[in-house]
Amino acid sequence: MQHQFDAIVVGSGITGGWAAKELTEAGLKVLMIERGRKIEHQVDYDTETKAPWELPFRGLGDAALYAREYAVQRKNRHFNEFTEGHFVNDKDNPYETGADTDFTWFRSYQLGGRSLTWGRQCYRWSDYDFGANKRDGHGTDWPIRYAELAPWYDKVEEFVGVSGAKEGLAQLPDGHFQPPMALNVVEQAVRERIAAQWPERCLTVGRTANLTEAKEAEGRSHCQYRSICARGCSYGAYFSTQSSTLPAATKTGLLTVVTDAQVEKVDYDPKTRRVTGVRWIETKTGARKAATARLVFLNAGAFNSVHLLLNSASEAMPNGLANGSGVLGTHIMDHANTLSVIAEFPGFSDRTSFGNRPTGIVIPRFRNLETLDGQGFTRGYSYQGGALQSGWSRGKRMAGTGAGFKDDLQQVGPWRMVLVTFAESLPRASNRLTLGKATDPRGVPQLEVHFAHGAEEHAALADAKEQAAVMMTAAGGKVLMGMDRPGPGGSAIHEMGGARMGWDPQTSVLDRFSRAHQVANLYVTDGAQMSSSACQNPSLTYMALTARACAHAVEQMRAGVI
Amino acid sequence: MAVDRREFLSGAALLALALGIPVAAVRLSDMADADLPTARQRVLAREVSQLVIPRTGTPGAGEVGVGDFLILALAHGLDGSREPASASSPAGEPMPLRPDGSLDHLLWLERTLDRAGGGDFLGAAPQARAAMLAKLDATAFPPGPPPADPSPWALVKGLILTGYYTSQTGAAQELRYELVPGRFDNDIPLTPGYRAWSSDWTAVEFG
Repeated sequence: MQHQFDAIVVGSGITGGWAAKELTEAGLKVLMIERGRKIEHQVDYDTETKAPWELPFRGLGDAALYAREYAVQRKNRHFNEFTEGHFVNDKDNPYETGADTDFTWFRSYQLGGRSLTWGRQCYRWSDYDFGANKRDGHGTDWPIRYAELAPWYDKVEEFVGVSGAKEGLAQLPDGHFQPPMALNVVEQAVRERIAAQWPERCLTVGRTANLTEAKEAEGRSHCQYRSICARGCSYGAYFSTQSSTLPAATKTGLLTVVTDAQVEKVDYDPKTRRVTGVRWIETKTGARKAATARLVFLNAGAFNSVHLLLNSASEAMPNGLANGSGVLGTHIMDHANTLSVIAEFPGFSDRTSFGNRPTGIVIPRFRNLETLDGQGFTRGYSYQGGALQSGWSRGKRMAGTGAGFKDDLQQVGPWRMVLVTFAESLPRASNRLTLGKATDPRGVPQLEVHFAHGAEEHAALADAKEQAAVMMTAAGGKVLMGMDRPGPGGSAIHEMGGARMGWDPQTSVLDRFSRAHQVANLYVTDGAQMSSSACQNPSLTYMALTARACAHAVEQMRAGVI
Repeated sequence: MAVDRREFLSGAALLALALGIPVAAVRLSDMADADLPTARQRVLAREVSQLVIPRTGTPGAGEVGVGDFLILALAHGLDGSREPASASSPAGEPMPLRPDGSLDHLLWLERTLDRAGGGDFLGAAPQARAAMLAKLDATAFPPGPPPADPSPWALVKGLILTGYYTSQTGAAQELRYELVPGRFDNDIPLTPGYRAWSSDWTAVEFG
C-alpha cells in the first residue's frame, strides 16, 4: 500500500507538537491534524498587549455571553476576556456527564492546543509514582520505572527550558534546569521556618517552562515577568507548540499541518492488523477528508484520544480500536484539588517585590514515602501557591468610601500566602469515558464522562488542610480560611488515563512504549496512557513518554516492523 | 423614561473623548432595551461611583465613566449580578427583581438611597449624600466576619472598584501599570508613598 505520509499526528498540543518534532527530525514525512483554528506565533496573539481599559468588559469578560456559550470554560481561573479566544466554545463542543458526575472539562481547541494556556509547571515523577500501583494494588502496575524515563526527561527539559532549583529530593527528582526564579521575602522565610521544624518538607520555587535564560538559537527570549502567559507570548518565553516544537518540526521541511479538522475515526485493516490512516471533518465546510500513513500517533488530549479510539470501533474491533482488553475508557483520573489555606503574614510590611513571576512555589509530597502513614490514603499530595501582597481588589471586602478609602487602596496591601493542594487521584474502573447518546453539531457522538473522587482523595485533602494550617501557623502566619472539599472533577485540568499502559494486553491498552498492544503502528502518547496520576503536574512526563515513543516507532520502522 | 440607546451610546463616547480615553473603555455593546437605565439612574450611578472614589490628586470614578461601566456590568451579569435573587430582603422588604429573577441592583440602589434621602437622594446636599452612602456602606460591611447574606451594595461597590481600577486613570495614574516589567525583584523596600501596581495580576486575583 502506498501511504501519503510516514506518520499522522492527531493533535497539536504539548504532546502532538513533540511527536511532530521528533518524527520529522528523524526524517519522517508527517501530517499533523488540529481540530481548531490556526494561531500563528506572535501574529495572532490578539490581546497580548491590551490594557484592561481597552476591552469592553475590562478583562472580566461578558458574563452573559459566558453563561450562554462558555458555561464550563468560564470556571477556569485562566479564562477571561484576554484569553477567551484560547478556550473552546462549550455550546459548539458539548459533552455529557453521568448522573452523579460533576466534571468541568477545560479545553483549548486550536493550533497549539493547551500548550498556549497551560500552567507550565514541570515536575519529574519518581519511583514512588511509577511503583505506586504495584505497592498498594490500585490500578495496574506501570511497565516502566524512573530510570528508563530519566534520559528522556533530560532531553525534553533541555529543549523546553525549565527553570527550577535543585533540591535533592527522591520524590521530586532534580532535572536539567535553567536558573530558578527567586522566592519572595515571605516565601523565603516560610521555607526556612518549615525546614527548621520539618526537615523533610521542602518549599521551593515552582519548576516552570518559562525561560530565565534566552534560547537565542530558537528565537526565544527570557521571561519578561508579565505573567499573562495564556494570552500567548510573543517573546516565546514559555514553552508552547508555537514557540518551540512547531518551529523545529517546520524547519525540517517534512511537516504538513491541517487545522480546522476534527478527526472522526482511525482506519484499521484487520488483514494486516495495522491502522492505515485517519478520517476527519473539515469544521468550516463539513466536508469529509482522509489521509493514510504507516504510523499513527494520537495526541488529541487524554479524553479526546480515548474518544477517538471508542469512535473507531469496527467489525474487527467492535468495542473500540485497540480495546480487546475492554479497559479502554476506564480508570480516568484528575487530581483532587482545593484551596487548602489562605494565611496572612504580618512582619513583612516594609518589603515588597517588583515584576510578575509566572510561577508560584511548590511543597512536594511528604506523605506515604518510605512508610504508609495510615491517614486514610496511600498516595501523596503536594501544595502549590505562593505569597503575594493584596492589591486594590481587597477594597471589595473592606468598609469605606471616599478619599481616605481611595488613598488606602493606593497602597500595597498585606502579605498573604495561598496553598492549593493537588492530591493523587486513584485509578478506578468506575471512573470512565463512554460514547454518549447525543452527537455534537458535526454529527460525531459526544463523549460521556463518569467521574467521582473517592474516600482516599477526600482523606488526603483533609490532611492537606490540617497540615497547611499547622505549617502556616508555625511559620508565623495567621490562618484566614482553608478548605478540604475537592472541586468538581477536571478542576485540576490534569485529566488523564483511559488507555492505560500495562504489562498485560488483557488488562491494559498500551504497552511500555505507549503503543497499542493490539496494533503495532498505533501510539497514544498524551495523558490517555497514564496508569496512575501521581500528584505532580503531568505534562513533562507526557512529553518524555512521547519523545521515547517516537524513538521506538522510528526504530520499528527502520527494522521493518512497521 | 429610558434613555434612547443611541443617545446613551453616543453620550458615553462623548464622555470618553472629553476625558481623552479610548472610546472602547466605555463602549456599551449589546445592551437589551430592558436593561437600559433611566436618565436619573444614569446620573445616580455616576454620582455614587464618584462618592466611592472621589477626585483626590487624580480624577474620581464618576468622572472617568465608571457609572456607565457599572450599568453595563450589571446588565451583563458581571460578578454574578444576574444570578437568581430572593424577592425579599432578610428584613422582609420586597426586592426589585428583573424578569429573569435577578436583582435589579440599580433600581434597588435608587430606592434605597432615595429612602435614606427622604425621597430624593440626588436632591440632597453633597455632604449629606456622602454621609448617606457611608451609612449604607457601614451597614453592608460590619466589623467582623462578612455577613452570610451580603447586602447588594457589596456587589455594586465591587463593580465600581473594578470599573475604576481597570480604567486608564485608575490603573495607570492613581495606581501604576506596567505591562512588561522585564525583571523580577524579589525583595525590595516598601517605602511610604509607594503606589501599588494595578498590573500585579496575582494581587488583583487573590488579594
